[in-house]
Amino acid sequence: MSVSDSVPTNAFFDQHPDAVFTLNTAGELIRANARFAELLGYTPAQFVGTSLFQYLLPSETVRARQCFQQALRGEILTHDVSVRTKEQGIRSLLCTVFPLVEGQEVRGVHGIMKDLAAAERAEKHLRQREQQLSVIFNTMTDVVFVLDVEGEGRYRFSFANNAFAVTTGIPLAQLIGRLAQDVIPEPLRTMELARYAEAVATRQRQTWQETSDFPSGRITGEVTLTPVVNEDGTCTQLVGIVHDLTAQKQIAEALQISNERYEYVFRATNDAIYDWNIPGNTLYWGQSFEALFGHVLEENVSNLDLWAEFIHPEDAARTVNSLLQAVESADVRYWQSEYRFRRADGSWATIFDRGYVLRDAAGRPLRMIGAMQDISERKEAEERQLQMSREVFKQNADLQQFAYIVSHNLRGPLANALGFADLLQRTSKDTEVFDTSLKNLHASIRQLDAVLMEVNTVLSIRDQQEVPRLELVHLAGVCQRVAQSLEEPLHECAGTIVCHIPEDLRVSGNRAYFHSIFYNLFANAIKYRAEGRPLVVEVEGNASPETGTTITISDNGSGFDTVKAGQEVFQLYKRFHAVGPGRGIGLFLVKSHVESMGGTVAVESQVNVGTRFILHFS
Amino acid sequence: MKTFLIDDDDLGNYLTETLLRLEGFSDDIRTFQAAEEALQALLTQLNEKIPQIIFLDLNMPVMNGWQFMEALAPYETRLHGRCRIYILTSSLALTDMEKAKTYSLVAGLIHKPIDVEEIRAIRSQLEEERAQ
Repeated sequence: MSVSDSVPTNAFFDQHPDAVFTLNTAGELIRANARFAELLGYTPAQFVGTSLFQYLLPSETVRARQCFQQALRGEILTHDVSVRTKEQGIRSLLCTVFPLVEGQEVRGVHGIMKDLAAAERAEKHLRQREQQLSVIFNTMTDVVFVLDVEGEGRYRFSFANNAFAVTTGIPLAQLIGRLAQDVIPEPLRTMELARYAEAVATRQRQTWQETSDFPSGRITGEVTLTPVVNEDGTCTQLVGIVHDLTAQKQIAEALQISNERYEYVFRATNDAIYDWNIPGNTLYWGQSFEALFGHVLEENVSNLDLWAEFIHPEDAARTVNSLLQAVESADVRYWQSEYRFRRADGSWATIFDRGYVLRDAAGRPLRMIGAMQDISERKEAEERQLQMSREVFKQNADLQQFAYIVSHNLRGPLANALGFADLLQRTSKDTEVFDTSLKNLHASIRQLDAVLMEVNTVLSIRDQQEVPRLELVHLAGVCQRVAQSLEEPLHECAGTIVCHIPEDLRVSGNRAYFHSIFYNLFANAIKYRAEGRPLVVEVEGNASPETGTTITISDNGSGFDTVKAGQEVFQLYKRFHAVGPGRGIGLFLVKSHVESMGGTVAVESQVNVGTRFILHFS
Repeated sequence: MKTFLIDDDDLGNYLTETLLRLEGFSDDIRTFQAAEEALQALLTQLNEKIPQIIFLDLNMPVMNGWQFMEALAPYETRLHGRCRIYILTSSLALTDMEKAKTYSLVAGLIHKPIDVEEIRAIRSQLEEERAQ
């Protein structure tokens, strides 16, 4: 190294962080800076003219003089020295000496002393810090890496922690010192390099999420890339930190899949699925709730009171109580009930509701998840089936009764015929008994025939459950024609039939049926007229779109006791008059005809006042 | 022998009455077409001459044979041994035969038409009882 001819400037002396001094050729201090004075505990002025060696430990003076001599000969030397401070303390210093050359002549020696202890401490501290950082870097789970920016899209890995190797499966030996584009696999590479370029160009921190496949598996991470910028604003390094989100991501994905599945179940099922938070009393209904019942909820989250409000009043108390009881019983897990639930249009749905109660360890109810199943259709089908079996049962009972009655009614005249035939054999031809018996035998056989004819009529009616042809029947016309056909018996008893049915009244039905209805009712009126007053039958009819058509047939006849007769009035072969030739078939026919046309018939009667039949067609 | 015939069928009544007269069973026969009338006639002369024999039909309007029997139930002890009731019916139903047995006043059930043998059997039964 060449030796400079210049004398160090004052500034160099005064501002130098180390102790700096100048010796003359005799080894006496010409000048020293503030740091030198500070090290030894004096002021700089106090040193001038004193020998440097007097400040050294005596054991080191010889070596120090040798070094001094060597420096005077033009060498640069560095050696350890120990100095005694003004307070008699000892300091180890590192001393460097080199010659002071003026012109071609060595005029003295320059020296620089460093506080060795301080330097050692600093280095030790540095080493410790480095170790700490190393421990931190290598034990942290986040990936840390440093890229040197070499320009032209080249980024070289200068540092990476263990987590990098663990997470990516790339050994650090294969990484450090290599270019990013040679290490990072596609398709990640292109994206990464674009990010690096962005960070370098903007000198802004970049943050993004990425998912990629590494030898250790698929990894999702949040990357933060921080550019390191030097004094002149150039980005020289990129420090990256990758926070591994894989586990969180997997949980989130699993949760999303599970939620989606739940949503699909909600949508797929026809049941209204609900989730009732019991302590908070919030009730969440699935989408089917609206579809099933038509209730539009302003907010999906409601509470139990809303549910209870929709339950049929007859079912509400029972259902709500059983639910609350189930929820309060620590050992009950399932609750189920059947109840009617109001639809938005006011109709009632039959619901089968089944819920599962979630409880904490102490058995306290937390939530209930359940499904409201609309079983209205099934219920209605069940009802129809029940109704059908009831009808079948009733028809069967009717048939049995019919068989019984028919056999009885056949047996009556048959027994008489047998009896009279027998009697005829036992009596002489020219007696009164013989004549009467013969006459009665005929009568009995005629009765027998009449019964068989009735059976035929009744059977044909029973077979014909539906009206063969519906037409608009002009009621007044039919009524008047029937009245005319009964003119003779009416004349005999001095009776009258008055028809008040409006001329324009027409009812959908069957003309023959209406004929039969009027005929049987009028014939009954004549048959059971009251003695002592002429029979008057009044027929009225009125119709309105709201109430339908009502026809009343009232007479002033003998009447009957409606309490005694009860429901049996219209039954086959039931008679309510002790006298007269009644067979108990007329009202049965009336009822059958009316009902097969979709109408109803009712009767009011008072003994000795009269009878009124009310036919109604809606 | 005082006899009541209760049947809403006048042909049946005529037949039974004629046979009873031909057999000389009775010359005091009253026929009723309504059970209610017969009941009234019976109850008004309860302390006097009541019929020893009643032929009762079952299937009748307003009051049938069984209802007639029920109406007689309160007077059963007073009638017992003085009045025998025969159910005379065209019914062949077994249930009617079973039911007939539950009334102590009912002495028997006869299927229509009643014949000479049956009339004679009833008469001999009565004579036996009278002899005892």
